[in-house]
Amino acid sequence: MLLTPDIVPGLVATGASARVAVEVAPSFAVGDAVRVLNHNPQTHTRLPGYLRGKLGTIEKDYGVFAFPDTHAHGLGEKPQHCYSVRFSARELWGPGAPERDTLRVDVFDDYMEPS
Amino acid sequence: MNGIHDLGGMHGLGPVVTEANEPVFHEPWEGRAFALFASTFVFAGYTVDEFRHAIEKIPPAHYLESSYYEHWMFAFEEALLKRGFVTREELDARVALLKSGGH
Repeated sequence: MLLTPDIVPGLVATGASARVAVEVAPSFAVGDAVRVLNHNPQTHTRLPGYLRGKLGTIEKDYGVFAFPDTHAHGLGEKPQHCYSVRFSARELWGPGAPERDTLRVDVFDDYMEPS
Repeated sequence: MNGIHDLGGMHGLGPVVTEANEPVFHEPWEGRAFALFASTFVFAGYTVDEFRHAIEKIPPAHYLESSYYEHWMFAFEEALLKRGFVTREELDARVALLKSGGH
């Protein structure tokens, strides 16, 4: 496939979006308490290391996307939900962190379990 | 991959320095590198995830000392080498030619 002028604007605007137009049941709903798995693949992952094992709350469901961990290695899209998950600063960084600060991170379904 | 790219929470890296009136590209070659994403993405048929993973595999010391678009160039080279669009020998020869002032 060759690059044609009609392809360029969309590609530049979205950075090649990984959104997938299929119906997949979400494992979590907004408001659910979750624990991030202790996930350490030697292959590609979009889970930031500092989230491993941390407790958070589902804040928003973005919809269905290709799963980077498989997609990066030609192992298929494994489409699944990606969520905005809220973590307290103290959960992430301990008692020295400001009490009211929170952080929202985009986390894929496969990286979490119910808490 | 637990690599050098995963900098979240690391101490000692200093503040994020912002530049007043920052240009989109600091050097003309950066604009060309940006354009290469669209063309190589389409004809080489890689995914943005494969692209990101290639960047993660840059040797750690080099990763920290090289610029954003140098990381992109590394990923393009990986994708094109892997698919056989270019060989390592061809790439090295081209770099050597450019270093010596050739075109």
